[in-house]
Amino acid sequence: MARPVGNSTGTEILRVCALVLLGMIVLFPVYWMAMIALTPTGFSRSLSGIVPEQITFENFIILFTERPMLRWMGNSIFVAAASSFLSLAFGASCGYALSRIKFRGSGLVLILVLATQMMPATSIVVPLYILFRDFGLLDTMQGMVLGHISLVAPLAIWMSKGFFDSIPADLEGAARIDGCSRLSAYWHVTLPLALPGLAAIFIYGFVTSWHDFLFAKTLINSQSLWTAATGISSFRGEYFTLHELQMAAALVFALPVIIVFLIMQRRIVSGALAGSVR
Amino acid sequence: MQISNNNKREGGQRAVNGSRVTTFLTEGGGFLLIMLLPALLVLGFVIGLPMLKALILSFDTINFRRPAAAGTFGLHNYEKLIFDAQVWHAVWRSALYMAGTVAGSIVLALSAALLTRRIVHFRALARLAFLIPWTVPAVVTALVWGVMYEGNFGVINRLLDPLPFFDRTDWLIDRDTALPALILAQVWNEFPVAYIFFLAGLHSIPEELYEAARIDRASAFNQFRYITLPQLSSITAVIVILLMIMGFKSFPIIFILTGGGPAGATETMTVLTYNTAFRKLDFSYAATLGILAVFISLAMVLVYLRVMKRAERGVDGAV
Repeated sequence: MARPVGNSTGTEILRVCALVLLGMIVLFPVYWMAMIALTPTGFSRSLSGIVPEQITFENFIILFTERPMLRWMGNSIFVAAASSFLSLAFGASCGYALSRIKFRGSGLVLILVLATQMMPATSIVVPLYILFRDFGLLDTMQGMVLGHISLVAPLAIWMSKGFFDSIPADLEGAARIDGCSRLSAYWHVTLPLALPGLAAIFIYGFVTSWHDFLFAKTLINSQSLWTAATGISSFRGEYFTLHELQMAAALVFALPVIIVFLIMQRRIVSGALAGSVR
Repeated sequence: MQISNNNKREGGQRAVNGSRVTTFLTEGGGFLLIMLLPALLVLGFVIGLPMLKALILSFDTINFRRPAAAGTFGLHNYEKLIFDAQVWHAVWRSALYMAGTVAGSIVLALSAALLTRRIVHFRALARLAFLIPWTVPAVVTALVWGVMYEGNFGVINRLLDPLPFFDRTDWLIDRDTALPALILAQVWNEFPVAYIFFLAGLHSIPEELYEAARIDRASAFNQFRYITLPQLSSITAVIVILLMIMGFKSFPIIFILTGGGPAGATETMTVLTYNTAFRKLDFSYAATLGILAVFISLAMVLVYLRVMKRAERGVDGAV
């Protein structure tokens, strides 16, 4: 793209400066989190400037040795992988049907799916708690996975529909002329083509589950089953809050997602534009 | 179609009874059923069933503090809801929270997007930097801002200290600053969504419009006022409603930072629902509040669909 308005180098420098300033303000909380996480335990209170005086990794070591951080992250990974995989396994075919077949009520299904994605999770979690209590699913991993499916499945359906919309139907048509049934055309032709997109949706679902706080907080009680989100949030409630440990935990929790995002930036952004809300 | 009919006939010769079922399953309405049913069953179980249960709960009296009252059915929860000042205060606070996050995010996102668009160097880097807060989980956002807002050692107080007329404040404990403080944290976390949309919207404005304006010697401000803003109007409508929905849903940031306090000053609809269920243990009333929240968000979804349709017609290819 050609330079649009300010053709002079002066305005360019001015704009870059303004942008750097704005970027620094916006990224400051992330910087601060890393900074405090690297400060020796108890020393962040006596910091005078905004640069570290002494760098240490002891907070991370405490986190993984004296606190069950590893276990919590393991739980998070399990729940996120299971709920995202199951959501996609069920959601992809539904998204395909919504994308390819015009049937009565398809618009309604889409709107319902969208609406469930956009209503507050607190509305679901209250009755879900009572239901799970009756079914004996409270405080279990199965219950947690089911709860997260209610978060991820609408997203998987909506996003895979958008993705199948972008795959031309011609190839399936060719396969059908060659004698493929609709089901096998979907299974053998479209699905392999859609794999990269489905992988992106899987990651999006994984992150949604990884980020969840409400379901993990309400459906799980025992500390050994906590996900990382509930685990790290518990540090704030402690009587004597240790900022350094808390920030180290926050960093460990946030970093994988930030890295995945940096790697998959373009695809995730276009996925978000396709009409999904976290 | 001809060939597929031939196929069907061949199949029919092989197994007369089995093939009709198979054909139904792989071609016609059965195919639709196979594709849709699993997902609809799952959604029915994890969303439909809870919604139904919420409806039943809202007519019942399930309160773990008064277990004897269970089974008393009636409209009492809805009657209570209508005259409950606490609920309508929570709705008002949700509205304030939404208004604050929408205004803050739009100002921040639009300035960032306008600056990003007009620079030549480092554009990809700038884009990346402004998207990072979006990847930070809400739980982490809450923890980080909690540490920064802290009254005695928090970095915000320390940075603002040199300013004249500034008194150290315990941002999250002071009744007047708690809600704005939460809004700021939410804005930081969610403005990148608006930023992405604004970038797409700006990208779709034809460059010829600006060229024509420059020939007419329109000032930069007038170009912004008469070209950029009108061209962005439909995408802005989408952003506003999307941010409203996100703000209404917001839970972890408010819950972790203040839990609804001080003295209910930050108790939005979601936090009130949670507190009613899991602190007061009044699940029936909480379910009623949840249903009210569903209706509020349904209204917003309908507006969103309408606005989205208009934006798709207007800014072609932007979204």
